[in-house]
Amino acid sequence: METWIPWLTALIPLPPLAAAAAILFLHPCRRPAAALALAGQALSLLGALAVFGGALAAGGTEGGPVRGLLTFTWFTHGDTALPLGVAADPLGASMLLMITFVGLLIFIHSIGYMREDPRFARFFCFLSLFSGAMLGVVAANSLLLLFICWELVGLASYLLIGFWFQKPSAAAAARKAFLTTRVGDLGLFLGLLWIYKETGTLLFYDGGHGLLEQSALTSLAGQTVAGGMALSTAVSLLLFCGAVGKSGQFPLHIWLPDAMEGPTPVSALIHAATMVAAGVYLVARVFPLFAAGAGGDGVTTALTVVAWTGAVTALFGAVVAVAQNDIKRILAYSTVSQLGFMMLALGAGGVAAGIFHLLAHAFFKALLFLGAGSVIHGCGHEQDIRKMGGLRKTMPVTFILYGIGMMALAGFPFLFSGFWSKEAILVEAFAWPVSRIPFLLALAAAVLTAFYMTRQMIYVFLGTWRGKDRPHESPRVMTLPLVPLAAGAVLLGFLATPAWPWFAGFLAGEAVAFSPGALFTGKSLAFMALSILVAATGVAAGWLVYARSPASTAEDPLQTRFPAAHRAVSRRLLVDEFYERTVLRLQSAGENGCARLDGVLRRVTDGAGAVLSRGLGGLAGLLDRSVLNSGFDTVCQFLRAGTAWLSSLHQGRAQNYLRFVGIGMVVLLLFYAWLQS
Amino acid sequence: MNYLEFLILVLPEAVLTMTALIVIGLGAKSGRGGANPFSSGFLTAIGAAGIVAAGLVLALLPAEASLGGMLVLDPLTRLFKWVILAMSLLTLALVPGWAPPAHRGEYLGLILFATVGLSLVISSEDLLMIFLALELASLSLYILAGYNCDDSYSAEAAMKYFLFGSISAAFLLFGMSLVYGYTGSTHLAEIGAALADLPTEPIFALGVVMMLAGLGFKVVAVPFHLWAPDAYQGAPAPSAALIASGSKVAGFFILAKILLLSFADWDGSADWGGFATGWVPFLALLAALSMVFGNLSALAQTSVRRLLAYSAVAHGGYILLGLLSGGTVGIAAVLFYITLYGMTAIGAFGVVALVEQRRGGDSVAHFAGLAKEAPFTAGCFLVFLISLAGIPPLAGFFGKFFLFTSALGGSAAGDPSGLVWLVSLGLGMNVLSLYYYLRVLKQVFARPPAESTGHATGTPPLLGCMLATTAGAIIFLGCFPNLLLKPIEAALRVVG
Repeated sequence: METWIPWLTALIPLPPLAAAAAILFLHPCRRPAAALALAGQALSLLGALAVFGGALAAGGTEGGPVRGLLTFTWFTHGDTALPLGVAADPLGASMLLMITFVGLLIFIHSIGYMREDPRFARFFCFLSLFSGAMLGVVAANSLLLLFICWELVGLASYLLIGFWFQKPSAAAAARKAFLTTRVGDLGLFLGLLWIYKETGTLLFYDGGHGLLEQSALTSLAGQTVAGGMALSTAVSLLLFCGAVGKSGQFPLHIWLPDAMEGPTPVSALIHAATMVAAGVYLVARVFPLFAAGAGGDGVTTALTVVAWTGAVTALFGAVVAVAQNDIKRILAYSTVSQLGFMMLALGAGGVAAGIFHLLAHAFFKALLFLGAGSVIHGCGHEQDIRKMGGLRKTMPVTFILYGIGMMALAGFPFLFSGFWSKEAILVEAFAWPVSRIPFLLALAAAVLTAFYMTRQMIYVFLGTWRGKDRPHESPRVMTLPLVPLAAGAVLLGFLATPAWPWFAGFLAGEAVAFSPGALFTGKSLAFMALSILVAATGVAAGWLVYARSPASTAEDPLQTRFPAAHRAVSRRLLVDEFYERTVLRLQSAGENGCARLDGVLRRVTDGAGAVLSRGLGGLAGLLDRSVLNSGFDTVCQFLRAGTAWLSSLHQGRAQNYLRFVGIGMVVLLLFYAWLQS
Repeated sequence: MNYLEFLILVLPEAVLTMTALIVIGLGAKSGRGGANPFSSGFLTAIGAAGIVAAGLVLALLPAEASLGGMLVLDPLTRLFKWVILAMSLLTLALVPGWAPPAHRGEYLGLILFATVGLSLVISSEDLLMIFLALELASLSLYILAGYNCDDSYSAEAAMKYFLFGSISAAFLLFGMSLVYGYTGSTHLAEIGAALADLPTEPIFALGVVMMLAGLGFKVVAVPFHLWAPDAYQGAPAPSAALIASGSKVAGFFILAKILLLSFADWDGSADWGGFATGWVPFLALLAALSMVFGNLSALAQTSVRRLLAYSAVAHGGYILLGLLSGGTVGIAAVLFYITLYGMTAIGAFGVVALVEQRRGGDSVAHFAGLAKEAPFTAGCFLVFLISLAGIPPLAGFFGKFFLFTSALGGSAAGDPSGLVWLVSLGLGMNVLSLYYYLRVLKQVFARPPAESTGHATGTPPLLGCMLATTAGAIIFLGCFPNLLLKPIEAALRVVG
C-alpha cells in the first residue's frame, strides 16, 4: 500500500474537528457555521474516497487484506512508550466512506430541519465534533485511541440528544443515554487495561506484535482465568460490554428509544447510521480476539455470547416496535432489532455479512429517519402516527423515498439492499453449528420487521388525514439528500449478492469473480425463497390487520384482540420498569448512603481544614493569620505614615520572620538528630 | 581563562543587559512638558525584542562549552535558558496593562536584569557563581515586588520578600561556606568527587541543611514559604507572575543540580520505616509539609492571589517528590512539570490582573460571572486551574502522572516501593485541591456577575495573545507531552 494512504487516514478526522473548534471559538453566524461544517465533512469525504480507492487498489495477500499502518508515540515515560496509530484497511475504509457520505447528506438535511432553531451554529458545532470523533473510532489502530474517540462520540451524543435541553424529557434522555452507555464503557475500559497488562500493547496491528496478531492471540488464548475461561474470552466479553452499551443491545438498549428526544437529523446520524454501529464495528475490528482459540468450526464462548445477544435483541426490538405509536420510536426499536441482526451475524462468524448489513442499514435507516424528519416537519412537529394519514397525496416525494427505505428495511426481494444483507445473515445463522434457535429468532424478527413497517406505512401515508393543520411537503434542502440515500439503499445490495459477493472479498482481500450460477444453486434458491416468504408474510399480515380496519379508530386492532399482550409490548416489555424497581431503587439507597457519607466526609474535611489550616495553634494558621496578618494593618499604617517604619520592623516583624526561619532550621536539625540516632 | 570565550558564553546575558540599559535610558528621557515621549507599549516591545534576540543568540552559541565550571553551556542549560527567556517574554505581555504607571523603563529594565540573574543561575556549576546569580535575580525581584510605591500592600510584599530573602541568602551562604570548608571546593562536581572519599560529619550535614533552607525559600517549600502569600498578593501583577514562574523554575533547576551533582553520594533514604541520613529524608519532609500545608491553607483562602500562592507551595511539594527518585525519569518529570507550572502561573496571574482591574479586587467573589463578560479569558482560566488540579487531557495531568510514577519507583538507594506513603499523601492532597480550584471556577462559570457597572468586557488583545499561547501550550503538551519531555530527557542523557 502506498505510504500516503495511512497518513491521509490519520488526517480524515481532523477537518470536522477543526470545523467544530472554529464554530465554537469564532462564533460565526448561521450560514458560515453551516458552511464550515459542510466543508469539513466534504473534505473528509474526499479523503475517505481516496483512502477507499487506495484500499481497493492495494488488494490483498495470502494472509488477508493489505493494511497501511501509521504509528506514532504519544508519550514515553522512562522506557515505556505508549504508541497510538491509525490503520487503513478495507474494513476501516468502507466505514470511513459510509460515515462521511451519509454524514454529509444528513448535514445538508439539517440545514432545513434546524432552520428556525436559535442555536443553529451550535448544532453544527456538535455535529462536526461527533463526526470527527466517529471517524477517529474507525480510523484507529489502537484500542486506546479508539476508546478516547469512543468517549468523545459519547459526549457528542449526550450534547446532541440533550440539544433541546429546555425540554425536561430531552435532558433526561441525554442523561440516561450517557449513564447507560457508561455502564458498558466501564467493561470496555477494564478490558483495555487487562489486555495492556497481558500483552503490553494496545495496537491492533503492529507488524506481528499487535494484539490482533498471531503471537498475542496465541498467548491470550493459551492462558486461563477463573472458571477455566480462556483469557481471550474474558477480555472479549469485557470489550463486548462496551459494544452492548453503544449498540443498544439487550439489556442496555433502554437509552436508544429515549434518545429520539434529540433533533431528527441527530437520530438519523447518530442513533441509526453511525454511533450505534460503533459497537458492531468494534466487535468486527477485534474479531480475531473473539475468535481466538476456536476449533475448526469457528465457535468460541465469546462469539456464542455475541450471537445469542444479537438474536435476542433482534426479536426483542422487533416485538416492541409493533406496539409503538411514535414514528421515531418505531424506527428506534427497529434500529435496536437490526443491530441485533448484525451482532448475530458477527457471532455466527460472518463478519462480512454483519458489516455489510451495517452499511446497508446505515443508508436505509438514515433514509427512513430523514424521511420521518420530513414527515414530522411537514405535519407541524407531530410524531404520533395515529394523528397522521393520507400523506401519500400531500407529501408525494417523501412518500416515494420513505417507501424505498421501508422496502429495503422489510427486505423486499431482489431490488433492495436489505433483502440481500438480511439473507446473508440468515445464511450465516443457519450455518451456525451451536444452535438453530438464534436462526429461528431472527426469522421471527424478520417477519415482524416487515409487519411493523407495513403498519407504519399504512398509518402515515395511506387513509385520510387525521391531524389538525394541513400537512405540506418539505423544502428541497430536506428532501434532496434523501435521493442519494435511496439510491444507496437500492444499489448497495448488488455488492453482496450470492452471485457476486464482492464486499466479502474486499474485506478479506481476495478478488471475487462474477458467477451468476451461484444464484441458482439449491441452497441459494432456498434461502432466497425463504427471505421472500418472510417479507411477504410480514407485509401481508400487516395489510390484513391494518388496511381493512378504518384507521380513524383510536384503538389498534391488535390492542382490541390481545389487550394484555399489547399492553406489555407497548410498555416495552417492562424492561425500563424492571430497572426502575431494581437498579434505581438500589441506586437511591446508595445515594442516601453516599449523601450520609458525604456529610460525614464534609464534616471531616471541613473540620480538618478548619483545625489544620486555621486552628492547630500552629503552622499554617498561625503564620498566615497571627504572624502575617495581625500586624498587617499596623505595618500598613506605619508605612503610610512613612515614619519610623524601619524601627517597627525591627521591633516585631523581622524578629518573627527570623524566628520562623530559625524554627524551620531547628526542626530540620532535630530531624537530622533523629535520623542519626 | 580567555576573555573572548567568556564574552561568547555570556553573549545572551550581554544582549539582555544592553536591552535593559536601552530601555532604562529611553524610559528616563523626558520629552516636551516633562512627559516621557515613549509609550509603554513601545518600551515593552523593545524589551521583548531583546529577549527574542537573546534567545536567537543562545541558539548560535557552541553546543557545549564550559568556563572552568563557572559558566557551563550544554543542551540542558540551553533548553532551560530558553524556558527562562520564554517566561520573561510571557511576563512582558502583562507590563503595558498592569505594571505601575511610573518609571516604566526602569520596571522593564529590572525584569530584564532579573532574567539575566535567572539565566546565569541556570548555567552555573559553581557555588559562588550560583550565589551571585541568585542574588542578582533576587535583588531585582525585591524591587519589582515593591514597585508600586503608592500601594501599601506592594510595599509590604516587598518588605516581607526582602527580609525573608536576605535571611535565606544568609543561610545559603553559610551552608555553602560549611560545605566548602569541608570539601575544599566550590565546584559542584568536585564537591561530589571529594565527598566520595570523606566520611560525612555533622558539620557537613549542617551545611547541607542550611543550603536546603536557603533554596527552600526559592522554591517556596514549607516552612520557608511564609513570604509567598504576601508577595503574591501585594506585588504588581507582572512582578508576581515572574516571581511565581521564572524564579521558581530557576530555583528548582539549581536545587536539582546541586543535589545530584554534589550530594549524590549522601542521598540517604526516605522509605517508610527505613529513614537513613542524607538529603532525601529532608526533602521528603519538606515535600510532605508543603503538600499538606499548601493544600489545606489554600482551602481557607478567599483571595485568589493568596490561593495561587498556597497552590504554588503545594505544587512545590509535588515537584520535590520527583526529585526524590533522583533518576533521569524523575528529573525529567521535575523539569517538565516546573516548565508547564511556570506557564500556568503566568497565565493565571494574567487573568487575576484583568479581574482586579475591572472589578477592583481579587477575592473569589470578584470572579463571579467572568464567563459572561470575558468568555475567552474565562475559558483560559478554566484550562489553567483544571491543569493545576491535574485533570486529563491537560498537561498538568501528565506532569503529575510523571512525578508520581517516578516517585513510585522509589529513591535510588532505597526500597523500590519505599515512597508509596509520600505518593499516597500527594494523591490525597491532590484530590483535596480540586475543591478550591472548582470553588473559583464555580464563581466564574455558574454565578451571575455581581452588578453591571458598565466596565469594559471582552479580553484585551495583548493579554488575549498571552493567554492563548499559555493555554494552547498547556492543552498541546497535554495531548503530546513527548514534545517537551523528549528534548528534556535527551538533554539529560547528554549531560549524564
